[in-house]
Amino acid sequence: MNIKKMTFVMLALLLFIMPVLLLLLQSVSSPWRFQSGESFHFQIESFQVLWSAANLLEATLWSIVVGAGVLILNMAVGIAAGKALSTLSFKGKPLLEALFLSPVLIPVLAVAMGLHLFMIQAGLADTALGVILIHLVPTIPYSIRIFHNSYAQLGKHMLEQPVVLGAGPLQQLFTVELPLMKPAIRSVTFLTIVISLSQYAITSIIGGGRIVTLPMIFFPFLDTANTSVMAAFAVWFAMIPLAMYIIVEAFILLLPYSRMPWRNTR
Amino acid sequence: MSHTLDVQHLSKQFNQDLILSDLAFQLKRGEILSIVGPSGSGKTTLLRILAGLESPSQGSIHMYGKEITFQKANRRDISLVFQQPLLFPHMTVQENITYGAKLAGKKNNHKISELLKSTGLDRFKSYFPSEISGGQQQRVALARAMATEPEIILFDEPFSSLDPKLRQQIRYWVRDFLVNQSITGVFVTHDTEEAMIMGDRLALFHEGKFQQIDQAEVIHKHPANSFVADFLGGHLVIDEQNYVPLKECSLDPINEQEARSYNGVLQHITYQNGQAVGHIFLEDLDHKISLPLEKPISGEEVTLYIKESSIRTFGGSSL
Repeated sequence: MNIKKMTFVMLALLLFIMPVLLLLLQSVSSPWRFQSGESFHFQIESFQVLWSAANLLEATLWSIVVGAGVLILNMAVGIAAGKALSTLSFKGKPLLEALFLSPVLIPVLAVAMGLHLFMIQAGLADTALGVILIHLVPTIPYSIRIFHNSYAQLGKHMLEQPVVLGAGPLQQLFTVELPLMKPAIRSVTFLTIVISLSQYAITSIIGGGRIVTLPMIFFPFLDTANTSVMAAFAVWFAMIPLAMYIIVEAFILLLPYSRMPWRNTR
Repeated sequence: MSHTLDVQHLSKQFNQDLILSDLAFQLKRGEILSIVGPSGSGKTTLLRILAGLESPSQGSIHMYGKEITFQKANRRDISLVFQQPLLFPHMTVQENITYGAKLAGKKNNHKISELLKSTGLDRFKSYFPSEISGGQQQRVALARAMATEPEIILFDEPFSSLDPKLRQQIRYWVRDFLVNQSITGVFVTHDTEEAMIMGDRLALFHEGKFQQIDQAEVIHKHPANSFVADFLGGHLVIDEQNYVPLKECSLDPINEQEARSYNGVLQHITYQNGQAVGHIFLEDLDHKISLPLEKPISGEEVTLYIKESSIRTFGGSSL
């Protein structure tokens, strides 16, 4: 192993694997303090506390539904807007790009307060669709940006080549564009789901307490000093993006011309 | 019978610039037209319009009598080979070649393997584009366009990235393929030699117009104007109306009453096809010529002699 590889492994262990392992260990052991002289006490009460939390399953389900909805809309809007921004040239394009980024420049809470009135009028307040839509505000600017860059990297000619060979827009999307934008799809998946999962304020404003997501039952637990329960919660929380990521990865494998990891043709 | 391709009054304007101006030409089935002209003259734009990637400002394009001016690129039975190979990096060589044929419903395993064999890529069929050389990539790109068996294939300087030897081979291979399948071809290049090898007819393109379209021999013997004569390089252009074929110019004094002479500087000597070629700058005409040298020349100062009777007037087969 050369030095570079070594450094990478060490850094990954130190900054990524170790904290996760510690979190897992803490979730199944009694609260532990540095130099307290206590040894490792295995326990699963923390998970029992977690299970006993009212509507944990319901909140998990809502989190998944909202997260998946936000992801799908982000993909659709991000791909369409990203492609348009990178292939079309028109007057006022820089202005439009700035406008697409503006939602992250204005505090989301301010946007949500304003949109709340509109949501009530439109009958979207207190609905899952309303929550999904409000979660687009802090996520979609990033998705558009990521797909815009991705399309720009593919280049105009690479997008024209399938057309010349007779591909329709959808055929081109699935056979060439999506397979070549896998890294972008992965980034958008992680980013949108994690951002959507961590929204507390805007979810409660638009969800009106009827759409309860994980952070809403997570936050009251912050008061407890019981780090084991917190760790159990964090582990539970982390499962959702992980599961979504695996599902998206499976979808990516279904794209035409994907190399199956277990099948090497040569 | 109507023409495979019939282009009428084609114009294209970008902002204030007229890229194509009132172009017209027809191609018969299986005919190959070479379009040659300086870089940046709008040849690529013409191909992009024919392929449907851009729309003309004016004019019409018909294929077998049917108008296709505004038909979408993916619906046209026309393929375009770009200057770069533009292979799909996530597909193997074989998948790349099959891609278009599969979409057109023309997938034929036998033909694909024939193509792989004739391009010498059989051994690399399960390689990815990043694992083969630039020349091989360009051959895959050519095979991919050919596998769709379109009515017309447009080539935009597809050999410019190949080394001279490989270029020579591939030129003939592409030409033979087009002839055998009677596919109509339009071949854009800035290399006159390549244009003559590839095309049945030659079109000299300059300032948005065809300056002359004809067989290479006719164009060479009767250039239509000073641009054509100058671009082909076989003539000394004296002024806008008159020229002299280079083979009638001499560096030795001519024993004739009616002769004229120009002073020049020999700048370089190169060797082509076993012959010494002198590159001479003619001060009087502010013009550079390349002349085969029959015997060694001493010194830089030279004088070029021309018989008055050799001077001809432009006006060969124009459009």
